[in-house]
Amino acid sequence: MAFDPSSLRHLFPILSLQANDHPLIYLDNAATTQKPLLVLDAIQHYYRNNNANVHRGAHFLSNRATNHFEQARETIARFINAPEQSHVIWSKGTTEAINIVAFGLEHLLEKGDEILITSLEHHANLVPWQQLAFRTGARLRVLPLTSNGEWEDEFSQYFSHRTRIFAATQVSNAIGVSTPLQMMLNYAKQQGAFTLVDGAQAVAHYSVDVQALDCDFYVFSGHKMYGPTGIGALYGKNHALEVLIPYQTGGEMVRKVSYQATEFNILPYRLEAGTPNIEGAIGLAAACDFLCNQDRSALLKWEQSLASHVYSRLHRETNIEIYSPEKNTTLVSLSVPNIHILDLNAYLDSQGIGVRAGSHCAQPLMAQLGVVGTLRASFACYNTMEEADRFCNVLLEAIDLLLDDE
Amino acid sequence: MTNSNQTLAIKEQLQACRSKEETFKTLVTLSKKLPRLSAEEKIEEYKVKGCESAVWLITEETNNIRHFKADSDAKLMRGVLVAVLSLVEGKTIAEIQAIELTNKLVELNLSSYLTSSRTNGVLAILKKIASN
Repeated sequence: MAFDPSSLRHLFPILSLQANDHPLIYLDNAATTQKPLLVLDAIQHYYRNNNANVHRGAHFLSNRATNHFEQARETIARFINAPEQSHVIWSKGTTEAINIVAFGLEHLLEKGDEILITSLEHHANLVPWQQLAFRTGARLRVLPLTSNGEWEDEFSQYFSHRTRIFAATQVSNAIGVSTPLQMMLNYAKQQGAFTLVDGAQAVAHYSVDVQALDCDFYVFSGHKMYGPTGIGALYGKNHALEVLIPYQTGGEMVRKVSYQATEFNILPYRLEAGTPNIEGAIGLAAACDFLCNQDRSALLKWEQSLASHVYSRLHRETNIEIYSPEKNTTLVSLSVPNIHILDLNAYLDSQGIGVRAGSHCAQPLMAQLGVVGTLRASFACYNTMEEADRFCNVLLEAIDLLLDDE
Repeated sequence: MTNSNQTLAIKEQLQACRSKEETFKTLVTLSKKLPRLSAEEKIEEYKVKGCESAVWLITEETNNIRHFKADSDAKLMRGVLVAVLSLVEGKTIAEIQAIELTNKLVELNLSSYLTSSRTNGVLAILKKIASN
């Protein structure tokens, strides 16, 4: 039987809001998803029953808080199939996780070394590497991928014995295409490079198995997978995490401190300076539980069917250009020549439909596509076919209203 | 560009809007009143920073009187520019600075253009209009 989103819409109270006198239609899920009651309740339950600082006091509440916090880490480890929970480092999100790695590996880079990324990266998986290259004299190289997720030229020439770091997204946030990840990772590993996978756009939709991917680092954000904002995770293989120089130091990450020297704590604490985002960790674990209690392949199929439905309705329109693939994606990214995406966005907003208009933090990719930005409708498990159709109808209305008669 | 009658007409049209949809349609209509800038005028110097849509604003002053020319690649922004410029065109800098422009835009049902988000540069436009 086909998946029915009404079976879980009631878990998301925000979806019953009215927006600009219309029922809210939330199609900006690639930016952030809404949160199920399970997550909201877990955060409130934590503050009502378990709040104390973790890993410190040996008292009733502190023990409870620490247990819940470390159980959350275990949940995340299971969620991505990490072999050990100590391989999961809490971060503010994907951006911070990438920065932890970029700063942590700096001491291993020399002038002339190469950092390789793809042309489909979010700024979060580009700017930290570019800045690292500036600081170390390394060279940032960009593997050109087409908007179909295929490679343009001879793939292997981008990997060399100087490739020290290879960082790639699993799914493009701007155009929704999946990259040929496993193949790229294989090339990178043959060169002995550190490998990092940006899973920010993948975790809400795909089951992730970091051991099968066999990457050194895997990073993602909680808020794009039904969890809270301000929390995410950095998974790393043990040896990869061990070589990272902590980019933040202070409390919690130390074992022994004198005025002369500091002995750092063991993993994972070594890379987690300061009091962590405890409520965020607990909320994110609840989001993992929410997802794991669903038939995830049915959810993915549903989300993909919404995107391909929109694609099939809109690609026939001569004045719409679609940049996302026809299939195997959960979003539709488009533009309309001679109409500004912000104008389209404003009309959709006036009808209660929330999408994203802009460069999606991927300006080099937009330049490659020859646009300033795109309009992106991105789907989550709670979106309905009626919402997808209403998006198409209202978009076509907007085009009618905005097409130039001047 | 505008006289007081036109200013009043623009005000009445916008104030009559009862929904975001009506404001949208009114701004589309108003946008057609904005004379477009030439390619030579759309240069970096005149670009207003902080707008996600490109906005150019040219200020000319003769005998203390300010005249404005503006353009945007987004249609609604051109409508907003028509409304904004109708409030300030042909006035002295002292007169312009005495106008509480943000309040005026709220009265015109354009408050949603004043939120300080990444996608909004109207505040930057107002600042540039009233700068010494």
